[in-house]
Amino acid sequence: MTAVFKREFRAYFTGPIGYIFCAAFFSAISFSFYLDNVSAYRSDFSTIFNIMMLWLILLVPLMTMRLWSEEKRQKTDQLLLTAPVGTMEIVLGKFFSALCVFLCALSLTFIYPIIVSLFGTPEVKSIIGNYVAITFAASAYIAISLFISSLTESQIVSAILSIISLSLFLAMNVIFESTNIEFLAKALGFLSMITRYFNFFQGLFSLSDVFYFISLTVIFLFLTSRVIEKRRWS
Amino acid sequence: MIKVLGLTKRYGTKEAVKNISFSIAKGEIVGFLGPNGAGKTTTMNIITGYISATAGKALIAGFDVLDDPIYARQHIGYLPEHPPLYQDMTVNEYLRFVYNLKKVRHRKFEKHISEICELVGISHVRGRVIGNLSKGYKQRVGLAQSLIGDPDVLILDEPTVGLDPNQIIEIRNVIKNLGRERTIILSTHILPEVNAVCERVIVINDGVIVADDKPENLAKKIAKQNRFSARIVGESQAVVNIVSGVPGVAGVKFIKNAEENAGDYIITSDETRDIRQPLFYALAENNMPYLSFTSYGVSLEDVFAKLTQQDSEHSKEELSK
Repeated sequence: MTAVFKREFRAYFTGPIGYIFCAAFFSAISFSFYLDNVSAYRSDFSTIFNIMMLWLILLVPLMTMRLWSEEKRQKTDQLLLTAPVGTMEIVLGKFFSALCVFLCALSLTFIYPIIVSLFGTPEVKSIIGNYVAITFAASAYIAISLFISSLTESQIVSAILSIISLSLFLAMNVIFESTNIEFLAKALGFLSMITRYFNFFQGLFSLSDVFYFISLTVIFLFLTSRVIEKRRWS
Repeated sequence: MIKVLGLTKRYGTKEAVKNISFSIAKGEIVGFLGPNGAGKTTTMNIITGYISATAGKALIAGFDVLDDPIYARQHIGYLPEHPPLYQDMTVNEYLRFVYNLKKVRHRKFEKHISEICELVGISHVRGRVIGNLSKGYKQRVGLAQSLIGDPDVLILDEPTVGLDPNQIIEIRNVIKNLGRERTIILSTHILPEVNAVCERVIVINDGVIVADDKPENLAKKIAKQNRFSARIVGESQAVVNIVSGVPGVAGVKFIKNAEENAGDYIITSDETRDIRQPLFYALAENNMPYLSFTSYGVSLEDVFAKLTQQDSEHSKEELSK
C-alpha cells in the first residue's frame, strides 16, 4: 500500500495536478473568506465550510480522474495486478494519496482562522470540528469519484460522471422535498450529504454523521476494489 | 514449477485459448511460438494472474494463481508485451517503486538493484526519466523490473522487441544465463530466437498447442529430407540432368542464373543418404565445378509454417464438415 501511496502522491506534485488542486481550492476559499469575513466583519466560519463542500464537487473529480485511467493507458495496471499485493491495498494507496493532497490544500486555509483570531474571537471548537468533518466528507467524495474513475477508461467521462454523482449525493434531498411522497423525501434526506453536514454548519459535532461519511467511504472503496478485481474476469 | 491444466479463455463467443495443458520443470527455458493472435499473450496473462481463465487452472510452484494469488505471484517476474513503465519517473525511482510494491525483504535495495541494472545494462541511465529513454532502454527497464525480488519463474512476452541486433544478442545471453537457476517462458515470433535461447518449444496456433518438443526434434520430425543450395557452372539443363542422376538425390531445381555460366540450384536428398561426395565426383567428371555449396537443413521457419498451416487447413476441413 505504501509503495502505491508514495508513487501517487509524488506523481501529484511532479505533474501539475497537485499544485492546480491546491491553488484552485485555496483561491476559492480565500475569495469567500474575503466576502464573508473580511468585508462583512464576521468571525463565523460556517459559510466557508459550506462553500468548501460545493467547490470540492468540482475539484475532487479533477484530482481522481487519472488515478485508474492513466494506469490503463500506460499499461501499468499489468504491473500492479500481477504484483504480490491485494487489490484493496492498491485501492487504499490511491485513496490516501488523493486524501493527502486534499489535506495539503486544506492546511493552507488554516491561515484564515489564525488571522481572524488576531482581530476577534472565533469559535475555536466549532472550527476544529468543521475541519475534522470536512476531512471525512472529502474522503467520501474521493472514494465516490475513485470508484467512478475505475469504471471508465476516459478521464473526461470519469470527471463529468463524478461531478454529476457528487452533486446528486450532496443534494438528493431536494429531489422529492416538494412532493407529497414523504417516505422518499425522508429517505433521500437521510442519505443526502448536505443534510448530514447540516449539524456541523451549526457548530454541532455529530458522531453519527461522521460515521455516515466513513461508511460511504468504506462502501465505495470496497466497490472500487471489486470493479478492479472484476476486470480480470471480463 | 509451472503447471497448466485444461486452460480455456473465452472472450464473448470467441475462444482465444482452447483447453491448453502443459507443465514446465524447474530450470527450463521454454519458447512460446505462434503467429499473432494465436493466444500466447492470453496464456501468459492467465499464468501471471492478470486475467482469469474461463476454465482450467494454472499452478505456479504449487500455488493456484486464482486461489492463492499472492503466494503464486511472489514466484513470478512478468514482462508484459508493453513494458509497464511510469513515464514520469526516473529509472531509479521506478525500480524502487517496484521493489517496494513487491515487498522484497530478503535483498538490500542498493545491492540488488545495482546487480540487476548491471545485468541488463542500464546502470548508466538510472537517473534518467523513463519517458525520455529509447525503446530499447525502456524494454530493458521492463526486464529489470521483472527481475526484482529474484522470482524463480520469469514470464517474458516478446522480450527482444525494439532492440537493435547487438542488444538482442546481449539480452538473449542475459536470458540464457538467468535460465540456469530459473524457469523461463518467453514468447516470440522471431524464430532464430527460439533456436538461440530455448531448450523447448511450444507452438500455439488458434489457441491450441500444435507442437511441444525440442527445437531440433521438431525440425527432424517435420523434415524427411535434407536440402542444399549450390552454385554450379554449366548449362542449366545439363546440370539438372547430371545432378538428378546421382544416387540419393530426390530432386533438383534450377533457381536462377547467378554469374556468367553459373546458376543457383536447390538440391534435396533422402534423409538417409549423404549425397555430398557422390555429387562432387559426378559434377567434377562432367567438368561442372561448384562455386558454392551450403546445407540448408530445415529451418524452424519451415517447421513453423508447416505446423500452423497444417492446422488451419485441418480446422477448415472440420468447419466444412
